[in-house]
Amino acid sequence: MTSIIIKKEYFEAPMRWARQYSAELWIGVASTVLAAIATLYSFMHQYTISYGDAESHLNIAKRVVDSLTPGFAQLGGIWLPLPHILLMPFVLNDYMWRTGLAGSVVSGAAFVISAIYIYKLTRVITGNKGAAIFSSAVFILNPNILYLQTTPMTELTLVAFFALSSYYFVRFLESEGNILMLIMAAGFGFYASLSRYDGWALVLMEAGVIFLYYFPWKIAWAKSKGSVRAFFAPRSPEPTVGRFARLEARLILFCSPAFLGIVMWLLWGYLILGDPLYFTHSQFSANSQQQSWHARGELPAYHNPWVSFLYYFVTTMSNGGVVVFLIGLAGLIAFSLDKKQRHRFFVILVLLVPFFFNVLTLFLGQSVIFIPGLTPLSFEWTLFNVRYGTMMVPAIALFAGYLFYKGRTPTKVLLCFLVAFQCVLFTIGFSPILALEDGVSGLSSATAKIPDAQNWLATHYDYGLILTDDFARTISIIRTPIPMKNVIYIGNKPYWEESLVAPEKYARWIVIQRNDVLWQNILADENTQGRLYKYFNRVYTAEEIQIFRRIDSTPGTQTTPEQATTTATTTGATAATSSPSSAPASASVVPQ
Amino acid sequence: MKKDIFALTFIVIFGAVLYGLTLRGAPGNPQAGDFKEKLDLPTGAFELSPERGRYVQTASLAERGTYSLDKTWALVAYPDVGVAESGSYYSFFAPGVSYMALPFYLVGSMFGYAQVGTFSVEVLFTLLTLVFIYLIGRKMFGLSVGLSIFAALIFGFGSTAWSYSVTLYQHAFTTFFMVSSVYAIWRYSTSVSRWSFLYPAYVWAAYGLAIFVDYPNAILMLPVMVYLFLTAFSLQSVRDTVKLNIRMSAVVAALAFVLITGLHFWHNQYYFGSWKQLSGGLPTYQLEATPADTALIAPPLVPANEIAATQAAAVTATSTAAEDATSTKNVVAFFHERKMPQGFDVLLFSGERGLFFFTPLFILSFFGFGFFCRKNKGLPMPYAIMAALVATNIFLYASWGDPWGGWAFGPRYLIPSMPWLALFAAWFVSQGRHIVMKKIGVYALFLYSSAIALVGALTSNAVPPKSEALLLPIKTYNFMKNFGYLQGDQAGDFVYNTY
Repeated sequence: MTSIIIKKEYFEAPMRWARQYSAELWIGVASTVLAAIATLYSFMHQYTISYGDAESHLNIAKRVVDSLTPGFAQLGGIWLPLPHILLMPFVLNDYMWRTGLAGSVVSGAAFVISAIYIYKLTRVITGNKGAAIFSSAVFILNPNILYLQTTPMTELTLVAFFALSSYYFVRFLESEGNILMLIMAAGFGFYASLSRYDGWALVLMEAGVIFLYYFPWKIAWAKSKGSVRAFFAPRSPEPTVGRFARLEARLILFCSPAFLGIVMWLLWGYLILGDPLYFTHSQFSANSQQQSWHARGELPAYHNPWVSFLYYFVTTMSNGGVVVFLIGLAGLIAFSLDKKQRHRFFVILVLLVPFFFNVLTLFLGQSVIFIPGLTPLSFEWTLFNVRYGTMMVPAIALFAGYLFYKGRTPTKVLLCFLVAFQCVLFTIGFSPILALEDGVSGLSSATAKIPDAQNWLATHYDYGLILTDDFARTISIIRTPIPMKNVIYIGNKPYWEESLVAPEKYARWIVIQRNDVLWQNILADENTQGRLYKYFNRVYTAEEIQIFRRIDSTPGTQTTPEQATTTATTTGATAATSSPSSAPASASVVPQ
Repeated sequence: MKKDIFALTFIVIFGAVLYGLTLRGAPGNPQAGDFKEKLDLPTGAFELSPERGRYVQTASLAERGTYSLDKTWALVAYPDVGVAESGSYYSFFAPGVSYMALPFYLVGSMFGYAQVGTFSVEVLFTLLTLVFIYLIGRKMFGLSVGLSIFAALIFGFGSTAWSYSVTLYQHAFTTFFMVSSVYAIWRYSTSVSRWSFLYPAYVWAAYGLAIFVDYPNAILMLPVMVYLFLTAFSLQSVRDTVKLNIRMSAVVAALAFVLITGLHFWHNQYYFGSWKQLSGGLPTYQLEATPADTALIAPPLVPANEIAATQAAAVTATSTAAEDATSTKNVVAFFHERKMPQGFDVLLFSGERGLFFFTPLFILSFFGFGFFCRKNKGLPMPYAIMAALVATNIFLYASWGDPWGGWAFGPRYLIPSMPWLALFAAWFVSQGRHIVMKKIGVYALFLYSSAIALVGALTSNAVPPKSEALLLPIKTYNFMKNFGYLQGDQAGDFVYNTY
């Protein structure tokens, strides 16, 4: 037996130095550095805005502050508004808007906050610093999370508010009713409910837990010896008498701020768009989009609870990384069996909200996920919306941290090794970084579907307003030199509506894609089509996209919206007399 | 001690008799022309390409003194044949099994039983595995003699491992090296004898040989090597110091691995042209369709066009290993996380290959594992290593492009996990209340599992995956196909075919 003896002080010196600063600070620094590196990587490879939705989020924020008709109405009624509101200060800068860095700043900040609060949440549950650091490390080393925090997508914003609300809610449970914690949980629940619809499920679940926590089970089941009473009755140490009143008070106290966001959003839908449930009824809603998948027989989870469960289970596993996911699963089992954790079931209910929510929405056909390995190859696409699984990464991280806390030293070493091993699996490609894959080559990708028309327009656009159906994503505005205030889309009243009748009224450019709204209203309508060919040359034609440019009376003259409005008043008269012909394409058509 | 000797004698004799009765084959020293539509028919000794490929390599070593195949033998091993840069032909399978079977071939061929002799190497290694399962049950788990025997019997005759102990595959070797290594390390951890260095030397050698037998064993046996590492290195806190203790014998013993792996590399260099060239990575031999060639090769079990049609039609089918193999020869690329959902299902639950479908007795292993953890308030290291071996095995082959193992009987890739599952199942029986009731239930499950294992051992391993089976008239893709053979009076064992 050979022995090597090392003085402990050699190990303790760096630890002493590290302890000069709080763990939160270290996690903040580590996550910031990782976020910066990931953002740089993403930016250099042009992954920041590879998602189609990424540009849409940037554009929504941009339109509020800088568009033809700026104002809060531009927030629309489908996506919840908070992520766009957070983007606003940053998209004012054109460079940050076009590159997507505005989104990187917001998501990056959310990432750092999430990392810190996952640490704090684990610390509250375990009381162990090492376990909390481990949880945080699991979270910040996840490449799917690292990628999404470089983008303007809304997932990280929700994750941050989810972590914040959950943290204060667990503090509330642990402190046996600290009102301040409840208010904080409700406050961040409010923000979560305005970030993504998953946030609605969070506040609903938290309200449900408050109900379960305070419900006077002894009164309701006074004669019962059943497990329900036995399970819930001892939860709250408060006396039974008056607990109805307490339940009522706490529920109102929590729900007033927490549900305010939901109420505001419904009210917004009603006032601005005429339907409080516009986000789920309208043609732009996810629900409507799912119907087309359903019609094609490509909505496998619809009304199938097992397949819904399986899809989200595998999506969660793939986003967490299979090894880390299994660690988290083992941690969840260990946590649920730990009788010392009095509120364990409540904590589990809150942390698993994304799971319940996504399984339910898949089952109801409100959302769709396509993931390789499960999605049949006969489907047109096998990769779509897999990033939804990242919502479960905080829960995976927390339960992994719990297992770390429960384990002895060899187990702790093994867990660290396994997390490192998972990183290796991600690096060598055994575990795919699905969120990135979907952005680059999945159905969610914008870059995988950039049409040639996009490049043509980017090089030929000179000036003037451009009429386009933004929902059809015919072209990417941020990838062209077109200023946002020169774009007429469905949200620009009255420009849009009037242009559908008289396309020449404002626009110098019109981009039409097969079967989009412009196609249906302008090309498919004989009268409007006549006006189109009267005032515009078709300068670009492809199988799916056509681009029209206004026939210049005085070439080189730039038209501002105001000028466009003024000239429009006379156009009708001149059109009738001076239009040379209704000949369609000019000689300058580039590709036929 | 006496009890143990009697028990071990019983296991060896009982095992030898049953394996002897079910050993696949027929008399004779098969030549290349004896395979097509004779020995390669279902229930024949060479019904599938893995046993053909390994056997022809052994025959080549014995008859020609070289590992490279001549074209005649290469055609017998077709389609799992690669061509080296030198133009020589080789089977895709790792060479270890063929080398280890060589002495048995030579002895068998002297008596006109080359094939039976070659296959009996599997019986020998399986019997040794049974011995080690018994020893682990007794010494490490503290089971009674009866339950330790029962653990050995579960593996030997209650699981689908039986079918692969009577033919020429890598699984018996892999399992033996794994089980014996764990036992050796456990002995090493408690031994202070001057000869204790032999234990780690054996483990290192077993690791090298296991890789020589089957390349994925480099990963499958990693938990064993972690166990050795943790046994050899230990940390101790002494007042204001930390003491790192190293058992140098475990480190020095690594020379055994270096030596064997060096020979392996030399073999690769000599035959394949590069020390890092694996046999499975050789370019595939493209068949020349001359009448002389086609007269030797085995006909496909299902026409290729029909397989393609089925794969296209199977709505849940993912890319298969065969498809992957055509696009890349990178062995590592066969493994991917996205294949795991289907892989788990196929290996554990499916009616095609599912572990719990073929051997439901192993469901009890997971209860046994739970009881074991509860009783020990955790999982001591050696048992954690056993669990890790099972987890690694499932993890690795669930992510493999072909979790079915081609045409096979049961989850053949999970055979290395079965000794541990058998031990935890036996532990389950030993614990808790209602032991008599439990024993009756376990006995019933054992009978069921054993009946399935026996029908596989007696007849054929050539059971197609579901996607291919649906093209066949019989449409069965599990042990029901084997019952069909029995009803048709078709058996594959040497004793039945000879006497």
